[in-house]
Amino acid sequence: MVFNCLSFVAFFAIVLALHSLPLPWKARKVQLLVASYIFYAAWNPPFVILLWISTVVDWYAARGLVAARRDRSRHLWMLVSVVANLGLLGYFKYGQFLLDNVALALGALGVSYQAPHDSIVLPVGISFYTFATMSYTLDIYLRRAEPANNLLDYALFVTFFPHLVAGPIMRPTELVPQFAVPRRASADQLCFGLALMTLGLFNKVVLADTLLSSVVEHVYDAKEAPGFIDAWAGTLAFSGQIFCDFAGYSTTAIGAALCLGFAMPDNFRFPYAAVGFSDFWRRWHITLSSWLRDYLYIPLGGNRHGVARTYIALMGTMLLGGLWHGAAWTFVVWGGLHGLYLAVERALRTRLKGYKPGPLAFLGLGLLTYALINVTWVFFRAHSFQRAGQILSGMVGLNDKAGPMLASYALIKTAVVITALLLVHWRMRSSTLETVVARSPALALSAVWALMAFAVVISQGTGNAFIYFQF
Amino acid sequence: MVADLILQRAPHAMRETAADRPGVAQPVPTRPVPERPWVRVLVQAFLMFAVLVGGWEWYWRDYGASPSISNSDGLWAMQRRRIDAGEGDATVILGSSRLLFDLQLDVWEQLDGKRPIQLALEGTSPVSFLEDLADDPKFTGRLIVGVTPGLFFTGGAFRGRALDYFRKESPSQRVGQWLSMRLVEPNLAFYDPDFALGTVLERQAWPQREGLPPFFSVRKLSVSEADRNTHMWSKVEHDAAYRDYARGVWLKVFGPRPGGPSPEEAAKIRDKQIERAAQAVTKLRARGVAVLFVRAPSTDPLLGGEEHAFPRALTWDVLLHKTGAPGIHFQDYKELQGLEQPEWSHLSYADAKRFTAALHGIVVKEVWKPR
Repeated sequence: MVFNCLSFVAFFAIVLALHSLPLPWKARKVQLLVASYIFYAAWNPPFVILLWISTVVDWYAARGLVAARRDRSRHLWMLVSVVANLGLLGYFKYGQFLLDNVALALGALGVSYQAPHDSIVLPVGISFYTFATMSYTLDIYLRRAEPANNLLDYALFVTFFPHLVAGPIMRPTELVPQFAVPRRASADQLCFGLALMTLGLFNKVVLADTLLSSVVEHVYDAKEAPGFIDAWAGTLAFSGQIFCDFAGYSTTAIGAALCLGFAMPDNFRFPYAAVGFSDFWRRWHITLSSWLRDYLYIPLGGNRHGVARTYIALMGTMLLGGLWHGAAWTFVVWGGLHGLYLAVERALRTRLKGYKPGPLAFLGLGLLTYALINVTWVFFRAHSFQRAGQILSGMVGLNDKAGPMLASYALIKTAVVITALLLVHWRMRSSTLETVVARSPALALSAVWALMAFAVVISQGTGNAFIYFQF
Repeated sequence: MVADLILQRAPHAMRETAADRPGVAQPVPTRPVPERPWVRVLVQAFLMFAVLVGGWEWYWRDYGASPSISNSDGLWAMQRRRIDAGEGDATVILGSSRLLFDLQLDVWEQLDGKRPIQLALEGTSPVSFLEDLADDPKFTGRLIVGVTPGLFFTGGAFRGRALDYFRKESPSQRVGQWLSMRLVEPNLAFYDPDFALGTVLERQAWPQREGLPPFFSVRKLSVSEADRNTHMWSKVEHDAAYRDYARGVWLKVFGPRPGGPSPEEAAKIRDKQIERAAQAVTKLRARGVAVLFVRAPSTDPLLGGEEHAFPRALTWDVLLHKTGAPGIHFQDYKELQGLEQPEWSHLSYADAKRFTAALHGIVVKEVWKPR
């Protein structure tokens, strides 16, 4: 089930009503758990089994970890969890990719091998919930957290529908304690939660789907090489589309949880106002970047074992982060580019210690960061390296024979939306939505809320899936 | 001041996230609610929203729209499922918009005793759908296949994804369709793809970019019911400017377009479509399904263009010969001619009823015995 469909409106209304009934807390948690399974099954019922497998394996692995007296046993239980989760992820997400690459490698060695194509269906959100469940056993293994008191709380942590399929990727320490005491949203929480959901859906339905997606498709899914203006318009539109799509999902999820009385962490912090790439990754998909930092970069050595090892850990983390997004080499290159950017930034920071940019230099560095991020988006969105090459050559003005692709309306709406997006991000780069809302007149808030809801309704979205569902 | 604005020095306003806490167990997040009179904000917002939506609805009703069922992929999937849910012996209609608009289910039901299942899709060749039914052993009924030359013999697939949607439709999508047909579509006139925000914005008079053809798109032409019984929208019949726009679009859609296939490629595509149709018909007839091709009327200048690009001897005649199936071409029957076609491609509502009755008469007399 996606947030931007009529079924979710009905589903959420029923869940809210049931959650507000004067029932024992345990009964209400069971309701939430059942609702979350329904939420997931509404997409493809058999895949609920995968959720159960992931839940049960990590529940028992965590119990094993706690009971183990020797380090070797603890290692083994941790491995059980990691292998089971990565095994599921590997089979469903990377199985075909692996076979295709084995076939390619064997072909290069002169061995003929045809990889079978079984059309494996990727269970929606598998990358998100396997990371969430793995963090449970890994936190216990790293002695950072205690196991959940009961299976119900743990199963609800894994399955809680607002974060289940596209994050924010929750850690057990963030959510499990919230199940310990009865929760019900106050009137203010309910209203603010609904306002956040409207904001999220406005981002997704109006900005991403209605205004930007067609521009991106027109450029990226065409066969012709784009000229300078079209290549940049398509790529800038994608930078807006992916932000509005994904941040829209996170905001809706946070709002939905708040309506039920639960708090979920920020996943975005106005990332296109980032100055530098370490700043970008502290603002973009925060729950994934911090997950990779805590469970991959730091265990790989982080910055504790010298310069060379730091760069290797950095690059390894970003390459795997790229692969997490999709089973294709274009995603690996996307991650690799970010790794390269981070490495260069790190080297420059070491060399230019003490340098503090003035306001204009600061602004310039921010725009440079955004421009370079757009280069990475080309690999993220293009279906092949050939297409990415065509788009990039257009962006540097090498496709001088290319004819126009986008109508003036497409160029105008891209320019308007992206300019507005950048201005908002820049204005908000050191602030929060809550701070701005707290300072705004009530009537203005109502007007903005009504306009966003109106735009969502008249856009008549067709329930397009969120881009990150495929990851 | 300027520096403060650009550097946005207000760290006190920031909230810590996991990005600020490396290598530790992340605490329960804080999600503060800004201090505002939220209930008042909500009530005001709702009232403003209601006024805006009411105004939008009023605008489109004033324009001539009225609530109707949306001809969506979900609606098509509902009709397609009927074949697998016990109605496999029904008369099924495939084709493009001409048989969708021109064949009136009420009239056919009155004459035939049984209401057909309408599966024709606008802007789309029926060949893939013919293959789908050929591969479905549950379908044992009768099949009327509309032939619009510019779509059938080119493989046009404006709604081609409907089949994929039907095969992969999730429980959530089915529930959404059910709710929409009961709560939204029967009540809101603006709930139509032609009145959606993106479509409305796109068709405004934006400046023309040099080197690109002027923008055009097919506008709303029809009104549908819950079982996809569809007829021409009255605005097309009565609003001269709207009708002229629709005619202009057809000339562009079915006229010569830059970047289209060469004559050799077009001939290959045409032969391939006929070959695919022939194979599907062979399968269908092997299990007793009667297939009938119907060429619904079109009129000048659209007809002239169709006859030029898709000569009957190279298309219709070959199709009937290769499939061995019977066909009814409107040019062969007086009773199927002289009907009102406001935008040259589809029949007016009143004449669609006459056409249906006449077609049924021909079918009973010459092709199928009455059931």
